[in-house]
Amino acid sequence: MKLSTIIVVVLGIAISDVSIADIKFSGYGSIVAGKGLDENERFTADFFEVGQYEDKLTFNPESMLGLQMNAGLSDDLMFTAQVTVKGTDDFEPELSWYYLTYQANDDWTLMLGRRNIPIYYYSEFYDVGYAYTWMRPPSNLYWWQVVQFNGIHVSRSFELGDYSSSLTMYYGNEYTEDNKEMGFYAEQGFYGPNTIEVNEDWRHITGFNWNISGEMFDVRFIYMQHKLDRDYVQNDGSIVVGPRTSQTFYGVGGSIDLNPVTVLFEYNYVQRHNDVEDTWPTYILSLVYNLDEYQPYIVYSKADQERVAGDQFEEHSLVGYGLRYNFTDTASLKIQYDEFKDEGGPNGWAFHGDSSTIAIGVDFIF
Amino acid sequence: MKSQYLSLAVALALTTPLIFTSFSTSAEISVIVHKDNASTFDKKSIRKLYMGKAKKFDNGRNALVINASKGSTQRNDFNKSVIGRSSSQINAYWSKLVFTGKGIPPKELSSDAEVLSTVTENKDTIGYVDSSAVTAAVKVVATF
Repeated sequence: MKLSTIIVVVLGIAISDVSIADIKFSGYGSIVAGKGLDENERFTADFFEVGQYEDKLTFNPESMLGLQMNAGLSDDLMFTAQVTVKGTDDFEPELSWYYLTYQANDDWTLMLGRRNIPIYYYSEFYDVGYAYTWMRPPSNLYWWQVVQFNGIHVSRSFELGDYSSSLTMYYGNEYTEDNKEMGFYAEQGFYGPNTIEVNEDWRHITGFNWNISGEMFDVRFIYMQHKLDRDYVQNDGSIVVGPRTSQTFYGVGGSIDLNPVTVLFEYNYVQRHNDVEDTWPTYILSLVYNLDEYQPYIVYSKADQERVAGDQFEEHSLVGYGLRYNFTDTASLKIQYDEFKDEGGPNGWAFHGDSSTIAIGVDFIF
Repeated sequence: MKSQYLSLAVALALTTPLIFTSFSTSAEISVIVHKDNASTFDKKSIRKLYMGKAKKFDNGRNALVINASKGSTQRNDFNKSVIGRSSSQINAYWSKLVFTGKGIPPKELSSDAEVLSTVTENKDTIGYVDSSAVTAAVKVVATF
């Protein structure tokens, strides 16, 4: 039985038990315009959605709207759904999140359904621009082609002396036929002249993360592993079987508040357990200066790829300078200038290319 | 070309705060609980309750946390002096939790009168009002 069917059935049982569910709507959105500053350059602001800026002003790569519905089914059971509308999908609505939350007691929470995978620190709220200072989490390492999954999460929150803490374990799967990001690479000819689509499956996505926060800091430790199956769909309809491998993710990320400066950091290390032993060490370092409702900031990120044969593969850095201005309690104006440097190795590894991009946008919640 | 945009951004970052910084006066805020609530409070424990980082009073009971309405003077003053952040920064904090299903922000009531009557009637509530509105039916545990 499909997970969505299970949820509908559980929901049906739960709703039949209550006459009027307590329903609340809320939402978030971003209207962002941007432009590359030089001809023949491309900046990928969103890898998963293939949101890219070239030298023409456009609203499509990052503008979006999210509408959330919470239905309280009983005191301890809630259903949440999110419909997102993105410029990268030609503004076609998509039911992108749907899950049940069961509050077993004060400390234990169970979630079942479709959610973002907590791969990195910002992964779960990547789309909620209002929630973070930058225009976007640095795209040169928030680059994974699978970001959502159907699964189950079990969380326990507890206090650790003066600190609050939570531990979450999760398990799930995601099957993407004609994966959007991989499709873009196929278009570039990365998988041979006859590959037109890529099917990418992440199975047995299993992980945990541990959050700990105090008055001055918030840190999250991350571990995740999954099986990766990739197949190449050919222009004659046949399928070429691709890699059958697995990946392991390790990470630590968070923020330190040194009023008036906030330091944001993240380090991730990903291993692919294939013959060439791919690894991807990546990191972010950012400084934000908090000046009342103004937050000028700088964000530097670096992504690298290494193999047993050396390190002349993918490698790039991205530096962004920007300003966030909260012009109301629920809306902020952001402007960010990004410089992407592609330091990829020979033989086509510098396939992103250098770019300079400016973007201006408004993030809001309601 | 590039450096022009960059210097524009830097100039904006440096000058706009000076132009737009606003000043506001604030009245005293009283944090109130039910008369029978014998828990002890300080700024830190109140802050933890309002940020969702603590869920219980130290009497062991679950706290029902009440906020003043969005944009009210009480809310903005409380946020600044107790939480130590502006309302927009606190909204950003909660939006991360709300849209990932990790937390539910404090319940909002529209007036001091409504906060007072709710705290008077419900043993496990905590709220705050303008000090001039406080009545004998509630217990003041802190003022800011």
